[in-house]
Parts: sequence; C-alpha cells; structure tokens
Amino acid sequence: MNSNSPDEAIITFKDVVKRYPGAATPALDVKSFSINRGEFFSILGPSGSGKTTALRLIAGFEHADSGRIFIGDQDVTDVPPYRRDINTVFQSYALFPHYTMQENVAYPLKMAGVRAEERKKRVNEALEMVAMEKMADRFPHQVSGGQRQRVALARAFVGRPKVLLLDEPLSALDLNLRQQMQHVLVDLQRKIGITFVYVTHDQGEALSMSSRVAVVNGGRIQQLDTPSNIYYEPTSRFVAQFIGKSNLVSANVKYENGEPLATVCGEQFPLPGAKRDGPVNLGIRFESLTVTPGGERRPNEIALPGQVSDVLFLGHTCEVKVRCRDQEFIAFAPAYKDGNLRHDQEVLVSFKPSDCVLFDD
Amino acid sequence: MTNAVLAAPIESPRRVGLFRPGTLLPQVPMFVWLAILVLLPNVLLIGVSFLKSVGGNVVFDPTIENYARAFQSSGVWWLLLRTIAVAALSTTIAAVIAYPMAYYAARILQRGRFMALLLVIIPLWISLLMRIFAWRVILGEKGVLNTFLLQMGFISQPSSAFLYNSVAVFLTFVYVAIPFIFIAVYSAIERIPQDLVEAANDCGASRWKSFQTVIWPLSKPGLAIGLSLAFLMAVGDYITPSMVGGLNGTMLGMVIASQFGIAGNWPYGSALAVILLVAVSIVLLLVFRFSRVPGILVGEGGGGSAVRAKPMSFAGKLKAYGAFLLFCLPYAFLYAPLILIALFSFNTATVQVLPLEGLTLHWYQEVLNNAALLAALNRSLLVGLCVLAISVIAGTGFAILFAYGKVAGAKWLESLLTLPVAIPGVVLGITLVLVFQLLSVPVGIWRLVLGHSTFVMPVVMMTVLARLRRLDPALVEASSDLGARYGSTLWNVILPLARSSIIGGALLGFTLSVDEVVVSQFLTGTQPTLPVWVWNQMRFGFTPSVNAIFVCIGLLSIVLTLIARQFLETNKKAA
Repeated sequence: MNSNSPDEAIITFKDVVKRYPGAATPALDVKSFSINRGEFFSILGPSGSGKTTALRLIAGFEHADSGRIFIGDQDVTDVPPYRRDINTVFQSYALFPHYTMQENVAYPLKMAGVRAEERKKRVNEALEMVAMEKMADRFPHQVSGGQRQRVALARAFVGRPKVLLLDEPLSALDLNLRQQMQHVLVDLQRKIGITFVYVTHDQGEALSMSSRVAVVNGGRIQQLDTPSNIYYEPTSRFVAQFIGKSNLVSANVKYENGEPLATVCGEQFPLPGAKRDGPVNLGIRFESLTVTPGGERRPNEIALPGQVSDVLFLGHTCEVKVRCRDQEFIAFAPAYKDGNLRHDQEVLVSFKPSDCVLFDD
Repeated sequence: MTNAVLAAPIESPRRVGLFRPGTLLPQVPMFVWLAILVLLPNVLLIGVSFLKSVGGNVVFDPTIENYARAFQSSGVWWLLLRTIAVAALSTTIAAVIAYPMAYYAARILQRGRFMALLLVIIPLWISLLMRIFAWRVILGEKGVLNTFLLQMGFISQPSSAFLYNSVAVFLTFVYVAIPFIFIAVYSAIERIPQDLVEAANDCGASRWKSFQTVIWPLSKPGLAIGLSLAFLMAVGDYITPSMVGGLNGTMLGMVIASQFGIAGNWPYGSALAVILLVAVSIVLLLVFRFSRVPGILVGEGGGGSAVRAKPMSFAGKLKAYGAFLLFCLPYAFLYAPLILIALFSFNTATVQVLPLEGLTLHWYQEVLNNAALLAALNRSLLVGLCVLAISVIAGTGFAILFAYGKVAGAKWLESLLTLPVAIPGVVLGITLVLVFQLLSVPVGIWRLVLGHSTFVMPVVMMTVLARLRRLDPALVEASSDLGARYGSTLWNVILPLARSSIIGGALLGFTLSVDEVVVSQFLTGTQPTLPVWVWNQMRFGFTPSVNAIFVCIGLLSIVLTLIARQFLETNKKAA
C-alpha cells in the first residue's frame, strides 16, 4: 500500500536542546533519533520529563536553542507552526468555543483553501470516523469531554497531515472511555496511515498502542525500543521501575574461572552480562517470581527460602511480599477462593537467572 | 422542542441552596430595592412625561403634548441626531485606539502587564471634571496648543478654532472613553486561552488569520461592553459639552438638564429624557446584536501572551520596537492633561496659561484654609462611605441570593437591578429627583447617598456575583456535609472566598461615587459635593487650589491601590 520503505524517517531530531528561561537544567536534551513514516510512536515519561516539550518542538510552538529538527528531508527548525504539515490534538482539546463541531473540523480545510463542497464532504467523513456526525451542529460547551476529544481528533486529521501529534489526549477521560478511545485511535491510525506521535505518562497506553516507545526522564531519552523490549529488557533502573512492576535486587558479582557468578541472599548463579566484580543491581519482574509453600525446588531455577510478610488480594491474582534474609521480594501468585498464602508462612521464592535484568546504573 | 434539548448543556453546574428551602423572606429586600430605586423612578419618568407644566409646576392633566412638541421641533431631532452621532463616533475612535493597545498589552507585552493596565486606570481616578478642564486649558485661545503652534510658526495669531465646538467635545469624549474600552477589551483578550491560538496556528492559520478567526470573535463581547459604557457616559453627559462645547457643541443632555433647572418644565424634560432613553436603547441593542458570539468559553485562566518562539531578526526587532512606540503613544495622550494639572498646581499665576510664572506651594497651603472646599471634600467622603456601606451590604447580599438562592427569573432580576448603570447620567438624575420628590426625601446627603447607591450597588453585585459563579458549587455542599448550618457556611466559606471581589467592587464603587457629578448635580441642593463644588468654581471664578487638591487625591489613590494590591498578593500567597 505504501511505496515508501517502512523505516523511512519522517521526523528527525539532531542534537536538540531546549532550555526555558530561569530553569537550571534543559527541559529537553536529546541526541539524534528518528520517527518513522506510518508508525505509532509514543513518548512516555513522568510529568516534567520533557515529553510535551518534544511535542511542542515538533509542532513548532517552541523553538530549539540548538540542534535541528527535520520533517522528511526538510529542515523545519525555523518554520512557523502554520506552515508545517503537522496537526496536534491538544491536551485541553482547544476546540474553538464559538464554532460548532462541524465548523471546528472545517477550520484547517478553510485555512488550506479547500472548496466548500469538498470541505463539507471531508468534514462529514471525518465526523463519521469518530462517530460524531449526529452532533455536528452543537457547540463545544454542549457536549461531553469524550465527545470533545473525538472532535479534536477529527479536526487534527481531517487535513491529512503527514504527522498527528497527540498530547495526553485521553488524560481527562474516565477509565472506560479511555479504553474505548484507545481502540478508536489504533483503528484510525491503521485506516488513515498517518504517523502518530503520542505523548503520555500512562505506560499502559504507550505499551498497548505503540509500535515504538521512547521513555524520557529529566529531558533525556532513557530508552527507545519496541514495547516488549522496553518491558522485558529495560536498560536502566528508571525504565524498569517506571514500566510495570519490578523488584530491585542487590547482588554481589564475583569471577570464578573467568565466569561471573552472582550471589543473592546466599544463593549463587551465573550472570553472563556482568562485566566487573562487586555489588550490582538486578531487576526481576513481579510475574517472573514464583512463590511455593516450602520444600519442592524446580529445576534450572534459583530458590530462596523466605517468609511471607504480606498478601494483597487483587482479584485475579495475589501480590505476595516475601522476606528473604535482608531483602524483600514481591511476586504475583495465583489467587484461589481459599488456600491462599498466609502471613508468616515459610515459602520458597524461585526464578530463572535469565529473567534477571542487569542495570548499568 | 428537540432544539431546546440539544441546546441544553450536558454538565450544568449544580447549585445547592444556601438558604432554607421554601422561604421567600431573603428575597424581600431585593424586591423592595428593585421597586423603589429602579422601577418606580422610571415609571415616574414616563408618567410625568405625559403631564402638563403650568408656571413651573407639574399639573395632573394627562396629555401627549410634550411628545408632540418634541417631535415637531426640528431642533430636538437635530440635537438628538448630533448627540448620538458625536457619542457613537467618539466611542468608535476611542475603540480604534484602545483595542490595539489592549491587544498589545494582553498578548504581546512580555513583562510589565500590570503596569500597562494600572497606567490606563490611573487617569480614571483623577476627577473627570479636572480632566475635561485640562482639555480646555490645552485647547483654549491662550492654551498650550495655541502657544505651541505660535512658537513653531504654524499660525500667526492664536486660533479659537480648537475650543467651543463639536470637535472639542468629540476629542474630550475620546479621551474619557479610552480607559473604559481598554479595560473591557483587555480582560476579554486576556481570558482567551493561548492553546486556542496555537490550535489555529496548528491548523494552518497565519497570525493575522488566527486573530481574525479566534481573538476577534472571542473579544467582541468585551469590546461591546466597553463601547456601551463609553457611549452611555458620552450620551448622558451635559458637563463636557457645557465646558468645552460652547454653543456649537450643545448636546441633548444640556437641554434636558435645563428643563429641570432654569427652564423649569419637568414634563417636557421627562419627555425628552424618554426619547433619549429609547434612542440609546436602540443603539445599545444594535451594538450587542453585532457583537453576539455563539458558544461559551469554558474553563478559566489560560490566557497569557505568546511565548516568543524564536530569536528575532534585525527587521523583526525593528518592527517590535515600532509596535512598542505606537503602543506608548496613547499613554502620552492620556497623561498630557494630568501633567498639566500637576504643573499648574505649582504655578504662581492664577490664570492657567503656559509658560509657568514661577514655582510655589501656595495653593497647597490654601487648600487647608479654604473652608468651603474642605466642607465639600468632607461631604464627598461622607457620602462615599455611606454609599459604600449600603452598596457592599446590599450588593453582596443580592449576589449571594442570586448565586445560591434559586430565585425565580434570576436573570431578569439581575439585569433590572443593573439598569441604572445602563441609563444615561442625565436621565438617571431626573428619575431620581422625581422619586425623591414623591417620597419627600430631604434634599442633601440622603438623596446623594441613595442616588449614588442605585449605580454603585450593581457594580459591587456584579463583581461579587462573577466571583461566586466561578466557585466550585461543591464547596457549599462540602460545608453543609461537614455539619455547618446555613449561616456558618456563609460566614466561613462564602464570604472569605468572595472577600477580594467585595473589596475590589467596593473600591471601584467608592471612586465612582466620589467622582460623580452628572447625577449629583440634580441631588445635591445647596450643599455641594467636591466635584459639584469644583464645577461651580470653574464657572464662577477658579482657584488653582483645585489643582492642588486633585494632585493630592490622585497620589493618594495610587498609593492606596498599590497597598491594596500588595495586601491581596500576600493574601494569595498565604492561601
């Protein structure tokens, strides 16, 4: 369908630094990276991490202090927002209060000088795509938040921009509506084939919808990878803790016969990734740990004896906190109507060494 | 039917009652106020306009003679037309100056926005009379303008062309209107969230296009309010025309006022007032019709100027400096008369001509020895404080009633209570004379206090009501949920939160009362307030002490405002 190669860059950052007046550290300071044509790209990070700044730089609302930004081959660093072929879905939706839904969606087409007939047709199409055709004549204050959100979306894609920027567009919606909208977004992106750049602090949204995710913190990109790699192979402590639920385990590494061996709570196992002697940090996901009531050891797994200190019943599963010597582990254990683990029960916590992730920091 | 359903907002804010359900008692004072101070005066005006005048006395003998006389007189038509035209045109010119100024201050100025606003407001505190008088000093035959032109060699002898004509009236109206329009437009533009402008840019609208499609439509209602206020002030003003207008600058307001003074024909004056009122209403209706914008700007705050996106080129910088200079120009226009007042207050000569003769503090000393002036000042302050007390209590009370009392037809009642603000000064003065005469309120302080309250109370009420409407309705629910009775919710939750708006409204109202001259002239009798006293001085022998006292009042009000602002700021930080 698309003649362009799948990895053709549509947006490229080259050593971009943005500093706000009066701030000690730059809001954004990134080396080179690209967003590819047609992909659903997420920028994920806590508030104040620089993710919105990145978006505003792409849209043209902010100007980089140094470095260049490209759309395709064109350097757009100095191009004003209204000459960029990019549209934004604002966090506040920013619907024009004095225009109806229809007029709001028609706005970018009007600015582009599209003829009235054609305009009407495309506005109707766009409103249908977000299931808002029945509310075309209402004003923004007459519809609900979710409906406003959908119209803001329609307004952003009706002009068929090269890239659609979405700034936490779902943050004002309730859980049900948010899940509905996630499906709408993914569906839409497939249908219209526009590149989506999606900014969010919600890891669930980022992982479920994106083809690639950039995790940012402190103005820097911490990791840029596919959702599953981000989830299973976080390269830093920050990413591991920000995404999903991970135990942070301190281990001691020692070389024996040239093989690095890690010691955790007295148990030794090979840790091929380790590069030096001494204490290191390991990450193990909650779901990679198995808690069994005493005795039986499983093959190829490391088992640490411990004592249950806390059990949280979550419905489909239990979150079990186990104390092994001086460290605490949290694991997911299957929940049963009765016969769950009890407080103070002696257990074994076991895991595969290959599920451990070694952090650089 | 379906349309009505569609138009209903999805999330209409709930208002929990602050009052015991079912009791109408709290509404009684509001209806009494409405009946006596708003409806009765206007009913009387219309009533009297259908009566006869015999030898200066009103006789009960229904007739349409007064209207017939007015309609047959080409002079009245001509005067009405000119009055409306001069007021409308001067207001429009003022808007052409004030709108770009307000836009610049609210959107482009990066720093010093409060100063820009304050500098426009300050002239409003210097008595209207003084500012008008200063224009006479500038435009007169021995005035500043003539002196300047003579010295530059543009003219060979002093020209009388500047003063005592419509142009002088016109110029003075423009001068008086600029601050009102600026404030109204500034607050409208400042409220427009920046992300709407960004969204427009994002959709491909250039700067000019985004102004045209976003800023302009959303600021139109604010502009309409500013235009209406300025228009009302001009149309109901008979002071300015008689000071700078001369014979050629006569306006309808002067004729109406004279029917209640020298001419002594109240019914005819009332008929003229009704005619003026109808004409003004038509103009205002048109203004609001053209400024109507569908939709509601939801959410507050936002605003703010565009962040300068990228470093500017040399040409860009040049343009920016040019724009800044243009922005500063109207300030020179606003301050020239004020500076003259200050200069003449130190001048040894009693005649107000340039160049200054010599410096003296004599006039400041004389203020302290001028018993009549001090008595007038005292009276003004006394009236102002009484008006303040009545207006704050009534205005705050009515605002709370409308916000939380579930009053039937609240919208209509609110508009009716604010009606006196929308009546030209000269007409309001007449209606009040009529009602006080009927109820035999003694001439003097009481008439002034009640009369001023009719237009100061709505100012306080609207300020407080605007604040209450923006409060989270859940606060009252939370308070009663936590066990507070009606009274303690009022005392512990509503009043503290409304405090800054009450103070703001009160300050504004106090200034309005102390500076009022058009309405006061009708109510004051033999014991004048300060502005009325000054007005008499200007006609029958002027002393530069008046300059001195207004310099003092001006400085005092600036200091007080700065202190009040400091106080409110610290309060905000503490909260």
